[in-house]
Amino acid sequence: MDGYLISQIVNGLCLGLIYALIALGVAVIIGIVGFATFTQGEIVMIGAYSSYYVFLWSGNNLIYGMIASFMITWIIGMILYKVCYAKFFDSPEYISLICTIGFSMLLKNLAQIIFGAEKKPMLNIIENKIYHLGIIELSRVQLMVFITVIVMVIILSLLFTRTSWGLKLKAVSQNREAAALVGINVDKTAMIGNCIGCAIAGAAGTLIGIYYQSAYATMGATLSMKAFTSATLGGLTSVPLAALGGILIGVTENIGIAFSSASFRDIFSFGFLIIMLIFKPTGFGRKRGARA
Amino acid sequence: MERALPEVSHEWGETMLKVNDLVVDYGYVHAVKGIDLEVNQGEIITLIGANGAGKTTTLKAISNLIKKSSGSITFQGEDLTNMSPHKIVEHGICHVPEGRLIFPDLTVKENLMTGTFGNKKLSGTEKDELLEEMFEWFPRLKERMNQLGGTLSGGEQQMLAIARGLMMNPQIIMMDEPSLGLAPIIVEEIFELIEKIRESGKTVLLIEQNASMALNIADRAYVLENGRVTLSGTGKELLDDPKVQAAYLGT
Repeated sequence: MDGYLISQIVNGLCLGLIYALIALGVAVIIGIVGFATFTQGEIVMIGAYSSYYVFLWSGNNLIYGMIASFMITWIIGMILYKVCYAKFFDSPEYISLICTIGFSMLLKNLAQIIFGAEKKPMLNIIENKIYHLGIIELSRVQLMVFITVIVMVIILSLLFTRTSWGLKLKAVSQNREAAALVGINVDKTAMIGNCIGCAIAGAAGTLIGIYYQSAYATMGATLSMKAFTSATLGGLTSVPLAALGGILIGVTENIGIAFSSASFRDIFSFGFLIIMLIFKPTGFGRKRGARA
Repeated sequence: MERALPEVSHEWGETMLKVNDLVVDYGYVHAVKGIDLEVNQGEIITLIGANGAGKTTTLKAISNLIKKSSGSITFQGEDLTNMSPHKIVEHGICHVPEGRLIFPDLTVKENLMTGTFGNKKLSGTEKDELLEEMFEWFPRLKERMNQLGGTLSGGEQQMLAIARGLMMNPQIIMMDEPSLGLAPIIVEEIFELIEKIRESGKTVLLIEQNASMALNIADRAYVLENGRVTLSGTGKELLDDPKVQAAYLGT
């Protein structure tokens, strides 16, 4: 295999991990709140802007930037929950779905008004250094993305498997009525689930801003769709499969680009989605524990 | 059990749960048209009635899972009418819903642990004790501790739902058709269990379609028809009542 293809696969893996982070946020939200979200891309954009301003203020301190994007998107997640979900649990699903689309337009346009329409450069947040591992070339930014995503996934899975909050979140995702009857505050728990999903996307925004070295108001547009696509691959609610879907889309895109042009990027990811939906519309997953 | 439990007494204690003139409408359908109920400390109370009589609706209204049109619910003198469902649970009112509603993708043990969320006063060791006690009561659940809830049989799921309810060490346990769809031998086990729960000092409010078994273990019973209480009395009285015999006991 030639070096060009290998480095495209590494690029694809790296981008795919960021997609995976956004997608598992979507899967967490759909699983716990029970409604679809199309605001995820704009949450990523807010995350990128938050860290952009914190980088300006703190002199490119990665940790501060990450915390800021996490916290600000957490708060946006609270607002999103109150506006788009809280009142609509007894209404048809499409109402909150359309509401999230409206909310995403609002965020996008507010961002253009507040932050301006031009791209904000996020240059040299991380020193550009290339590591050679045999024939694989890995930049320091890519290494940072790998490590951050893996750490976040580990924290998230510990949260879900080891803490009582994780148990509450899982209970609410499986049956809201039963969760209320064992004394769980369903509304608050669902809101926290939504905030976790959003804050992960916010952190992904920091990564994607650093990766593409810019933040701009419309950067979330295709990301919403790609995150949703990845989540579809996992049957919408499976967190690990949504992450796998994200990685696959990232790799597919970059292998496609290797044989064509970078402007065809989205053709490959959405072509992949269409093929998946035709041949395996339920995603990779099989419902566990289903009986009768 | 030394945990704060009401004293076991067959001299019925004070009124514990009181439902006053409860009315529930689903749109234009009047499901419950003014029901009054009283549950005293330490009793087994049963509501019997045909499908659509308003039994489940009454229970859901007590837990505030559905909106009441009017009426009030008081528990130990405290007004629960407009309290949110999880707050009602925290008062020591456990509701084992119709259709069990266990968490299918959580293990049996995790399902049981969710039961403890309803009682904030339980310490870690008390939770472990309760878990051990439930495993003693339900040895089959212990065998299947690490299996997913959804893989259990219907009877085991019902046991799990009841055990999950008991994990909060409630004062009153409300059970909605625990025998529904189960084999006769398991139904008997469930009824033995209900008596055992009462003996442990808890109050029971039971909804049943299996009227003869329910009336046999009930201290008092209410008969619901079309959203109204048409008859009430001790279990024995209702068992001997010709109208009840004709309508619900099939004799």
